[in-house]
Amino acid sequence: MASTDAALQIPALDTASGARRKRPGRLRRHGRAAAALALLAATLFPFLWLVQLAFKPAADLFDSSLLFVPTLDGFRALLQGSFPRSFLNSLAVSTLSTAMSLAIGVPAAYALTRWRFPGRRHVALWILVTRMAPPIAFTIPFFLAYRWLGLQDTLLGLALVYLTFNLAIVIWLMQTFFEAVPTALEEAAYIDGCGVWQAFWRITLPLAAPGVAATAVLCFIFAWNDFFYALILTRTQAVTAPVAIVNFLQYEGWEWSKIAAGGTLVMFPVVLFTVLVRKYLVHGLTAGGVKD
Amino acid sequence: MGAANTLAAPATPGLRAAHASRGWQAARRRAFAFGLAPALIVLLAITLVPAAALVVASLTPLSLTDPAGTFHFRDPLGNYRHLLEDTRFLGSIATQLKLSAASVALQLAVGLALALLLNRPSRVLGAVRGAFLIPMVLPPIVVALIWKILFTPDVSPLHHALESIGWPVRSLIANPDTALWAIAFADTWQWFPFTMLMVLAALQMMPADPLEAASLDGASRWQLFRYIVFPHIRPVLVVCGLFRLIDSFKAFPLIFVLTDGGPGNVTEVTNYYGFIQAFNFSYWGYASAIATVILAGVFALSWLVGRLGWSDHGKH
Repeated sequence: MASTDAALQIPALDTASGARRKRPGRLRRHGRAAAALALLAATLFPFLWLVQLAFKPAADLFDSSLLFVPTLDGFRALLQGSFPRSFLNSLAVSTLSTAMSLAIGVPAAYALTRWRFPGRRHVALWILVTRMAPPIAFTIPFFLAYRWLGLQDTLLGLALVYLTFNLAIVIWLMQTFFEAVPTALEEAAYIDGCGVWQAFWRITLPLAAPGVAATAVLCFIFAWNDFFYALILTRTQAVTAPVAIVNFLQYEGWEWSKIAAGGTLVMFPVVLFTVLVRKYLVHGLTAGGVKD
Repeated sequence: MGAANTLAAPATPGLRAAHASRGWQAARRRAFAFGLAPALIVLLAITLVPAAALVVASLTPLSLTDPAGTFHFRDPLGNYRHLLEDTRFLGSIATQLKLSAASVALQLAVGLALALLLNRPSRVLGAVRGAFLIPMVLPPIVVALIWKILFTPDVSPLHHALESIGWPVRSLIANPDTALWAIAFADTWQWFPFTMLMVLAALQMMPADPLEAASLDGASRWQLFRYIVFPHIRPVLVVCGLFRLIDSFKAFPLIFVLTDGGPGNVTEVTNYYGFIQAFNFSYWGYASAIATVILAGVFALSWLVGRLGWSDHGKH
């Protein structure tokens, strides 16, 4: 017990074994867990407040009491407006953008992993830097170009813009997954007469499938979470759910339960995915930051 | 070539294999180039081309009123000269620096403290670690909405609580003295999990031996942290700080929803000022100059990240 703890413990003072040391150690650990739980409750309080507000009847809205009969009025009000359409738009744009980034990015990541060409590091670094670039720098040229190309306020146009960050994410993440697949299997396939991409398709890709799934989820979340591009590049037809929520705030700012219901629906897929792929998510959110 | 092959082949089968292998290597290279090319072309078209267009546009007085007539290069540096005299722009940079410094410092402090608190092998703490990530993955617009609710006296439980103890407070985001700090606070709430995650990862890679040795020698908790743990996680903290600093230049939804740059323009950061110039006033040329300045700042910081955190990555 003491030795397994010591591996991850910072203050090793209380790991000295002995019957007398055991009780304070346990107390301290419980104290730590209690403190962590209390801080977690405080941290998540704003988030939970939004969720409960979505179920609050309009009459109790300005009352801080948690004693109310939950109602779905807020959600019902949402269904009658244009919100369902913007929600579908969000789904369509995020799916389309994810599909495009995977189709282009996965082969590129594979080539970058297996092919050590001169200048490879510079290409990889350039791809990472595109993730860093501020959206405003891309928005102005895209806004002007889309006016000419007729892509303004279209789902396709928005999905294309999302490639500016999603493509970098796919190439970056998939490299680590492909590195984990041993090359011996591919080499065996080459000897049997497989081409590079045939071997990739039949052997490497199936082995890296969990990585592809996790990357897809991350791409979806990043596209889903975008607000800035959608605000500027859409007007009426291709409005996404985050923009729709802001429209509620600006034009129907008193309908708090409807707004809170919209917020709850928008974050629902993200929170769901977070629970599903937590481990990979951590990897993706810190992409480029940790030396691994 | 063919003759050489037929001559050499019977004598040394190994040479033929080498030839075949060279051809195979070339085919492999071609195949890889074929796989990489589409991504590079697309990236070129959607990142480098717009960046170049941005710089070109920043050299013109392009605006909505007369797009064709204002697209000329008679005074290419006019926008940049104007920037230096524009007090609203200079003020926005000061606001940006205040906001970035406050929120990055808070994020590092809170993230570090929580990572140290949660860094124990325990099932409870493991679950808590996961739950702490929620603010970071929420859509930024939902985060803005959450804080809009908490900062609006009508519906905020905090305002209600303060009122009930006889201490009503003005909304923090409507008060020019506190609006910027309210945004820094909300931003910290959203992003401290990033630092927490990175520091936790670094702590778990830390070897246990030096700690054990030092504690046997009678080092205090503080000494252990100061001389062993902190030096180990310092590089991670630096990279975290730079990453968050870069991202803080892009802060948009929080400001858009909470204050809209106000009251007055105390929360108008550079990014937001560029947005207003481009999409409220439609001075695209001028806004491009602002965006170019931000882009240059981000590149400089990214280069710093490359120097500090990333150089090791390439070597290993």
